[in-house]
Amino acid sequence: MIAFEHVGKRYGGRFEALANIDFRVRRGEMVFLTGHSGAGKSSLLRLIMRLERPSRGKVRVAGHDIERLHHSQIPFYRRQIGVVFQDHQLLFDRSIYHNVALPLEIQGVEHREAARRVRAALDKVGLLHREGALPIELSGGEQQRVGIARAVVNKPALLLADEPTGNLDPQLSADIMALFEDFNRIGTTVMVASHDLALIARLRHRTLRLHDGRLVADEEVA
Amino acid sequence: MSRESAPSPRGARTQRPAGGIRWRAWARHHRAMVLDSARRLLRRPLGSLMTMLAIAIALVLPAGLWLTLDSARLLDAELEQSATLTAYLEVGVGESEAGRIEEALAAQAGVLDTRLITAAEGMAEFQQALGLRDALARLDDNPLPASVVVRPADPAPQAVRRLAERFEAVPGVDEVRLDLAWLERLRHLAELGQRVTLALGVLFGLGVLLVVGNTIRLAVENRRQEIEVITLIGATHAFVRRPFLYSGAWFGLGGGLLAWGLLTLGSDWLSAPVSALAASYGASFHLPRLGLEGSTILLCSSTLLGWLGAWIAVNRHLAESRPR
Repeated sequence: MIAFEHVGKRYGGRFEALANIDFRVRRGEMVFLTGHSGAGKSSLLRLIMRLERPSRGKVRVAGHDIERLHHSQIPFYRRQIGVVFQDHQLLFDRSIYHNVALPLEIQGVEHREAARRVRAALDKVGLLHREGALPIELSGGEQQRVGIARAVVNKPALLLADEPTGNLDPQLSADIMALFEDFNRIGTTVMVASHDLALIARLRHRTLRLHDGRLVADEEVA
Repeated sequence: MSRESAPSPRGARTQRPAGGIRWRAWARHHRAMVLDSARRLLRRPLGSLMTMLAIAIALVLPAGLWLTLDSARLLDAELEQSATLTAYLEVGVGESEAGRIEEALAAQAGVLDTRLITAAEGMAEFQQALGLRDALARLDDNPLPASVVVRPADPAPQAVRRLAERFEAVPGVDEVRLDLAWLERLRHLAELGQRVTLALGVLFGLGVLLVVGNTIRLAVENRRQEIEVITLIGATHAFVRRPFLYSGAWFGLGGGLLAWGLLTLGSDWLSAPVSALAASYGASFHLPRLGLEGSTILLCSSTLLGWLGAWIAVNRHLAESRPR
């Protein structure tokens, strides 16, 4: 599903955020990406989302060299990927329902179909009863769950999460991770960047460890 | 990867939908954005009004000048229509002789028509015009010559002047009068006015672009996070641009309407003194109003300028946020 081939990323010609990253993630896999802050986790995810381009090497997603995407095709590429952010990036001027519906609105999904899918996604994260609320009325954990509902509402083949539990207490973090495992069980490829090592160790999934922009460990769990 | 191919069979469903559905979705989004942008404008009425007023003021000056020139051009055309030469015949030329001379002049190339004013008719006109009936009646002889008024086919000054030279060579013609200098001056003035209006129009049009561009740039700045998020989840540039383009168009339309109001008010306010002034010169000149055509042009161009200003502002933002 994802293949990095000797990928390097430099910023401003000097700072090396990623160096010679080489790994593959199979379709339907769930993978953790760990490392200290600044190790390059976010840069790696940004490369997959094609928010940035590698300075060297190739990034393939679903067999396609995404470097070759014409900029007019990038939006359609991104629609295949669900993304969950640490700060969940909800829009505070609209209700939970409309936040989750945003990807469908962008894709021009018809209203009734959109409503059905939004409710299904909200139900999955246990927030169906809050669909009319504004994000500001929700707790941090609930906001993060809204972010997840938005990421999965159009059933992406690939789900990326950047420190999704960064600001949450251990119980909420475990709940969020359990949600990702649920999506993985129904076939979604999931990649979660996190530095919550204790939680990751408990969940027993393949873990890629970054250190100073280098891939220092790739631990498969038997 | 082509747009039609998808990373996975599951993803294929969420790829570009089929034509008809896509078109409906597109139309729906347009409708939604027309309303959404209008709501955003109304949410801060004072700020919106100020932007529109700035646009209106930028539009009023060139539009007003254009109107004035347009009416001057009408006047000019009328004057050209009435451009005539008068060939005064030698005093003592008899009526039959005068008739022959008129025919000779009428036969010349470039003459539209001619009208003979005999000495007696001239006298009658003179008396009527000046109200000097009694004084003139006391004269024994009619001191006025007969004259032929000629309307040239081509009212251009050079053509008229050439015609006058040819008339002067006709025996029995004493003098040919043409008063073209002021007509020419008027024409030069009109041309100057046109160029000034064009230059001002371009400058103030740029002004409108800047006003709208700046307002939209601020709106983009305010919604930076939203733009970032929707770009991340697959919004096309057109989708991102759409609400701002409509905002720009609303600003332009509002500015155009205000400019229209200002022009109408202004011409009402000025019309009485202008008409009085014109009347004192024995002319009838009314300040023009924006007709249907003029209003349409004003509103369409202001809306278009607003739209264009927004386009430039949003595109600058989008170009800055391209992946590096």
